[in-house]
Amino acid sequence: MAEAPATTETTEVPAGHEAAGFPPFKTETFPSQLFWLAITFGFLFTVLWRAAGPKINAAITNRRNAINGAIAEAAKARAEAEAAQAGYETALAQARKRGNALAEETRQTLNAEIAKAKADADAQASAAMAAAEARIAGTRETAKAHVKTAARDAAIAIVERLTGDKVSAEDATAALGN
Amino acid sequence: MALNPMEQFTIKPLIAEPLFALAGHPIFFTNQALLMIIVVVASSLFLTLAVKPGRLVPTRGQSMAEMSYEFVANMIHTATGEDGLKFFPFVFTLFIFVLCSNFFGMIPGSFTVTSQIAVTLALACMVMLIVIVTGVAKHGWRFIMLFIPKAPIYILPLLFLIEVISFCSRPISLSVRLFANMLAGHTMLAVFGGFVVALGSAGGALSLLSVAPMMLIVGILLLELLVAFLQAYVFAILTCIYINEALHLHDHH
Repeated sequence: MAEAPATTETTEVPAGHEAAGFPPFKTETFPSQLFWLAITFGFLFTVLWRAAGPKINAAITNRRNAINGAIAEAAKARAEAEAAQAGYETALAQARKRGNALAEETRQTLNAEIAKAKADADAQASAAMAAAEARIAGTRETAKAHVKTAARDAAIAIVERLTGDKVSAEDATAALGN
Repeated sequence: MALNPMEQFTIKPLIAEPLFALAGHPIFFTNQALLMIIVVVASSLFLTLAVKPGRLVPTRGQSMAEMSYEFVANMIHTATGEDGLKFFPFVFTLFIFVLCSNFFGMIPGSFTVTSQIAVTLALACMVMLIVIVTGVAKHGWRFIMLFIPKAPIYILPLLFLIEVISFCSRPISLSVRLFANMLAGHTMLAVFGGFVVALGSAGGALSLLSVAPMMLIVGILLLELLVAFLQAYVFAILTCIYINEALHLHDHH
């Protein structure tokens, strides 16, 4: 019951404000409510419209631009890398082709040189062979001549011993015939 | 100890004398006015200072600010299309104002601005005013087509009447929905809080029982946080839908 004076006091001071009733339906508070609503809502609207909204929008746009820029840059770098790769592969293929051509050329040159050297060697060999054959034939003829001379001398000596006649070399040769 | 659950909705002048008189009505600086000022100053400061346009990796605060911005922008875009974006500052303000009022009202001992029918009705009337002005400015007399759906001619008078009534009841439903949700939630919290006090002071075994309403309060508190966001969202999306109708009449349907 100690609270009783306090309660009566609060009901007395605002003169009807605290009277029984549903607080939100007390029309005498409406002018103050609408006044402050207008002030505060207007203030918030102005701030959001003029300051906060553009600022947030700028932040979002900046980020979107930065991301799009980075993506575009990455795509560009990728295209460049792909171009470089293609260039490298072309250069590699060209180098390989040139290398193959060079090797082929070298092989053909070498083959030609080898063939030439072989032909030279063959020619030399056949020349040497022909010379050797000629020498052999000469030697055989000389030997044959020696054999005939020896036979004639022997025939002369035999005739001389048997008959005592001296047979001339021409006769002996003719007698021997072949 | 305020055991009357309606006591929290009482608007009290913080300065006993009226500041001035506006058209014969005294204007007081009230607890509600203080909360409104706190709400708009806090949200203005937050949305302005938390954001740096050059910051590519946002801080937590900037993320929240950007999220609320894009949330409202997407809401308008999906509900009205490209031409509704010129209403963005208004819808954004409306959403932030209602959302922050609801959330600041959740702080024990503070005051819920949106639990007052005068405030919610004023906001709803502002929405309807903008809808009507937009519709008339864009379509002229054809704005009346908003009340004439495609239907057989003999049923049109009735439909016209229904459409007009439904249009006129929009500010009521828009404002009462927000007001009643806030009022009911806070009343419920106060009632269960009263149970806790009553049971706790009863003594003996009854004191232990006060744990039950206490736990209920925790649950309701979480629910009220959801409602606080949801009602702000509903208010904003309905505004977008009404603006869309004013912009496009029935073309979209």
